[in-house]
Amino acid sequence: MTTTVEEKQKQTSVIGQRLPRIDAVPKVSGEAQYTGDLNMPGMLIGKILRSPHAHALIRSIDTSLARQVKGVRAVITADDVPDNLFSFYQWLADKHILCTDKVRYVGDEVAAVAAVDEDTAEEALSLIKVDYEPLPAVFEIEDALRPDAPLVHDDKESNAIWSVQRLFGDPDKAFAECDYVVEGTYVTRQVAHTCLETSNCIAKWDNKDRLTIWTNAQAPHTQRQEVARVLGIPRRKVRVINSHMGGGFGARLVMDMKLPIAAILSKITGRPVRIVNTRSEEFTTGKTRYPYTMHLRTGATKDGRIVARDLELTGDAGAYHDKGPATVNFSSMMFGTLYNVPNLRFDGRLVYTNKEMGTAFRGFGNPQVTFATESQLDELAEKMGMDPLELRLKNANQPMQTTFTGAEISGCGMTDCMLAAAAGIGWEQKRIPAEKKALRGVGLANMVHTGGGGRFYGYNSAEAFIKLSDEGTVTLITSALDMGQGAHTAMAQIAAEELGVSMSDINVLSNDTDLTPYDLGSWGSRASFMDGNAVLAAAKDAKRALVEAAAEMLEAAPEDILIQESKIWVKGSSEAHDLSEIVDHVVNEHGLTISGTGRFVDRLPEGYTIPTAFAKNIPCFSFGTQAAEVEVDPETGQVRVLKIVAAHETGTTINQTMAEGQIEGAVAQGVGFALMEELVYEDGRIVNDRFLDYKIPNIGDMPEIEAICVESIGTNGPFGAKGIGEPGLVPTAPAIANAVYDAIGVRFYELPITRERVLKALKEQRDAK
Amino acid sequence: MKRELCITVNGDEHHLLVDTRRTLLEVIRDEIGLTGTKNGCGAGECGACTVLLDGLPINSCLMLAHEADGREVTTIEGLAAGGVLDPVQRAFVEHGAIQCGFCTPGMVLTTKALLDRNPDPTREEILHGLKGNLCRCTGYVKIVEAVEAARDLLAEVGSR
Amino acid sequence: MKGFEYVRPSSLEEACAALAGADGSGVADGPVKALAGGTDLLVQMRLGSLQPRALVSLKDVPGLTYVLLEEDGALAIGATTPLGVVETSPAVRRSFPAIAEAAACIGSVQVRGRATVGGNLCNAAPSADMAPILLAFEAEAIITDGRAERSVRVEDFFVGPGQTALRPGELLKAIRVPPLPAESYAAYYKTFRSAMDCCTVGVGIVAVFEPAATILSDLRLALGAVAPTPVRARQAEKMALDQPLDEGLIERLSAKAAAECWPISDVRASAEYRTTLVEVLARRGLTDALSWARKGGRG
Repeated sequence: MTTTVEEKQKQTSVIGQRLPRIDAVPKVSGEAQYTGDLNMPGMLIGKILRSPHAHALIRSIDTSLARQVKGVRAVITADDVPDNLFSFYQWLADKHILCTDKVRYVGDEVAAVAAVDEDTAEEALSLIKVDYEPLPAVFEIEDALRPDAPLVHDDKESNAIWSVQRLFGDPDKAFAECDYVVEGTYVTRQVAHTCLETSNCIAKWDNKDRLTIWTNAQAPHTQRQEVARVLGIPRRKVRVINSHMGGGFGARLVMDMKLPIAAILSKITGRPVRIVNTRSEEFTTGKTRYPYTMHLRTGATKDGRIVARDLELTGDAGAYHDKGPATVNFSSMMFGTLYNVPNLRFDGRLVYTNKEMGTAFRGFGNPQVTFATESQLDELAEKMGMDPLELRLKNANQPMQTTFTGAEISGCGMTDCMLAAAAGIGWEQKRIPAEKKALRGVGLANMVHTGGGGRFYGYNSAEAFIKLSDEGTVTLITSALDMGQGAHTAMAQIAAEELGVSMSDINVLSNDTDLTPYDLGSWGSRASFMDGNAVLAAAKDAKRALVEAAAEMLEAAPEDILIQESKIWVKGSSEAHDLSEIVDHVVNEHGLTISGTGRFVDRLPEGYTIPTAFAKNIPCFSFGTQAAEVEVDPETGQVRVLKIVAAHETGTTINQTMAEGQIEGAVAQGVGFALMEELVYEDGRIVNDRFLDYKIPNIGDMPEIEAICVESIGTNGPFGAKGIGEPGLVPTAPAIANAVYDAIGVRFYELPITRERVLKALKEQRDAK
Repeated sequence: MKRELCITVNGDEHHLLVDTRRTLLEVIRDEIGLTGTKNGCGAGECGACTVLLDGLPINSCLMLAHEADGREVTTIEGLAAGGVLDPVQRAFVEHGAIQCGFCTPGMVLTTKALLDRNPDPTREEILHGLKGNLCRCTGYVKIVEAVEAARDLLAEVGSR
Repeated sequence: MKGFEYVRPSSLEEACAALAGADGSGVADGPVKALAGGTDLLVQMRLGSLQPRALVSLKDVPGLTYVLLEEDGALAIGATTPLGVVETSPAVRRSFPAIAEAAACIGSVQVRGRATVGGNLCNAAPSADMAPILLAFEAEAIITDGRAERSVRVEDFFVGPGQTALRPGELLKAIRVPPLPAESYAAYYKTFRSAMDCCTVGVGIVAVFEPAATILSDLRLALGAVAPTPVRARQAEKMALDQPLDEGLIERLSAKAAAECWPISDVRASAEYRTTLVEVLARRGLTDALSWARKGGRG
């Protein structure tokens, strides 16, 4: 594609517009149903009994009193459920549906009840007697790695459970030969997704012994497989149905144990069973971002070229496996792409601890690593006497570049992002020493992320179907999963643009694994790219049929048929026909339908496998830069973020309002990650399991945010689009940390940068003088 | 223990027999069947359960249903009169202030109450008024824009 | 939540009788609690930290919700007056703006629509946001048992965390705030107002100056969330009197106030940080008071 961005914008009528979401009205009027709003006759309420201990043997469980409570229909323990072990990666499976011999973190599922209402279920839970024998537990990585450490899983040799190493070039030589080297250790902690809607499900079996689960899942097809796997039943026996979702951010990708638990309770009772997380359960068992401890070294030559990087990272997996290996692998790929560094070493590990387990969370390991690398880059710049922006510009990735690590970059607007972010924050002006205001500072950070998911799970295709009805309306069947980010609207826009149909004539059908084609779900900012390309292909297919039909009916050549806003006419004529006329003609005159099928297959390049492909697993990269301005209150340690300019690539922006919304929302999460959020433990128990004490930004905490969508060419997403769901979260913390350094001369190597930590650091700074 | 409760919701009177432990949120959702009002935290900390009680925004998860005996409640379903969206709802739709939508009913009702009481709020007053409504999706940017747009729209309508 | 008896009296006498000991079903043991807004009670009941035997609803008890300016300029607030009413009442904002400010800090607009002044005091959390400013104003708590009334200083109303001076069968009826001399600066300082915080630290200050001077004739510094109950920093207050207030004295007073609290460390803040915040807020309050006095009692 050789069109310029300007030419691109002139070519589209729906793509790039500020259109309202197609589900906005149902949501704003209270009509939109989430799975927690569904009701079924005879539905029972299920509740899960969770371990109060971080690590303990289960000596016995006595459910007799619980069973006797009036209104209790089932009580189950490990004896009542299949013995299968589960994990996202089955070869790492380590978790039973209900704990058998021991519990491994506070919150671990031990038993469950189904009762006629919530009060009865709670009462029954309180009557289940579990005889625990507490065991010594490990909560910190260093403790978990000691040779005599108690094992979280007794069948393993140690708590170090997985690792991956990557080597490119000759880092040792490069470090020895370069002019500047900076080294440091960086730590991030457990943070929670805090979707406003908590995890919930309803399980119900039909008379053909088939299980349907209604749940808020980001990946209903893979969760369907997971449920079947852990229950030990054929996949064809499981159907997963979604509804509107109150957020996802990665928390809803891997199956939660409440799904098979509800399924078993439903099987036993013969009635639908609903299980809903309380907010406390959501905080303590909903899974978190993987905390990373990172040892990082960066080396550069005096002309400003970054020539070597060495990253050793250890992720705290918590008590069970989940998306840890995928997260660490992804971290390595992003680490290996940004700045096209020729000599790289990466060593990533995962360690079990007796804490809540980690899972995917927007950014998928990249926010943690980017905090380290972009903070360290500023230190490097300072050591070199170079402006941090200049250093970054010198090392920018370029379009159509294949990096030393094999990452294939197509469209790349990285330099544009940097310049836009810097300009937006007033970088030049605010970095002049004489212009600097006391206690105020600005900071920058770059990032690269995937704009289209990844090929690393093996299957990487998407399909979509389009049918045109006799009123000229379009039904789009897509597996794109809308967890609130607007995927269905984006798909509708793509179909509308390609077909020439009005948005109001498009109806999106999705959310049912019986209906939609197999799809890996919404993660890795992949829906626009993968599902969007499939929708585009389906629209092209349907358009071909439509154009042919119109050409025949209007007695014109197919290339002379124009379609826009659901109207069709022949080039040169002003007589516009309704789309419905053409469809009606085809249906009633010819007895045929008009429809389209589209498929998009995204393959690894020839000659590569998933492990050897490394960053070639990423079909499209998305670059971005954020610049932050902060003001520090030296008396309270409060860091006030005044403004964040977030310039991110969209390739082609599908919906300007929605893209900005993704960036703004991600920046808000980034502010929380940088300054406010941390799950706090005391003896293995999370003590801030409420919004009161686990603070996420409220409306008064937000800085001014300027979201800039940077377009570029060269990406083979639909109309040149890249995903924008995650990137907005990736560079926020280092941009803020770098701004804090500019403001008060203190560097923070750990997140969150809380007031107490700032005050402590300022005091140490004063004492040192 | 159950007790008689008389409550008006969106203009409709309901006579119910309700356990004294039930909250207003539970009655609205489970007994009356209006599921637009959401349960986000059960502790009055997120605002997803906001309804208007005699026009004032309150957290329905923190109110025992019987404490609303004889009173008027407006839920999100009660805003659009005759299927026509309220200006606040319209502004939210048009300005991209809705993503997952879970916080939206509470956010919209709190906004409506704010503008009813103070038709010309400053940005500070808007922030103060919406502090109790958490959103994890939008970063609040377009929510503030929508509130300001609703304010301006209502002022325009009012001045005609 | 566990079952409880729900009683809804329609008079003060009935309410006090119910509080003295309601019979009936519900949890066998457990306290009998007065229910006003319920924003603290329901949370505690859901967490399981409170399992009342009975809840006595004040919903239908008349004469407990009001804001009145008395003839002598004192402010009287009925115990079941919502904080939102205190926040927006023209009378309070005009004559006792610091009290309106303190109310405005609590929770959210939704919480303030239900939470009451009485509830905030009777819950008796060390962090009760209405406490510091009411202590600084030397307000009184009017208590009734349905027949007779008695009053105690709000300062003495707090006995310990979650404990008040109420005896069984008694109800907090109202708060009475005496008027201040014209030369008074009053304000409430709470950390991190943008967050919907339970008060991390709160300082209520009333500084009474001699006419046209910066000499303090009276200083009340009340500290919240830094001791088992809200407390007055009496030593600091004494140190301040009868001399011109200046930056140096402010430093000494703030440090003294910080030494007069004994906060705990919890997930919200460490004891050390709370102590630091007391000093910071006291300094800010005294600095604002001084600048107010220097401007001739304006601004």
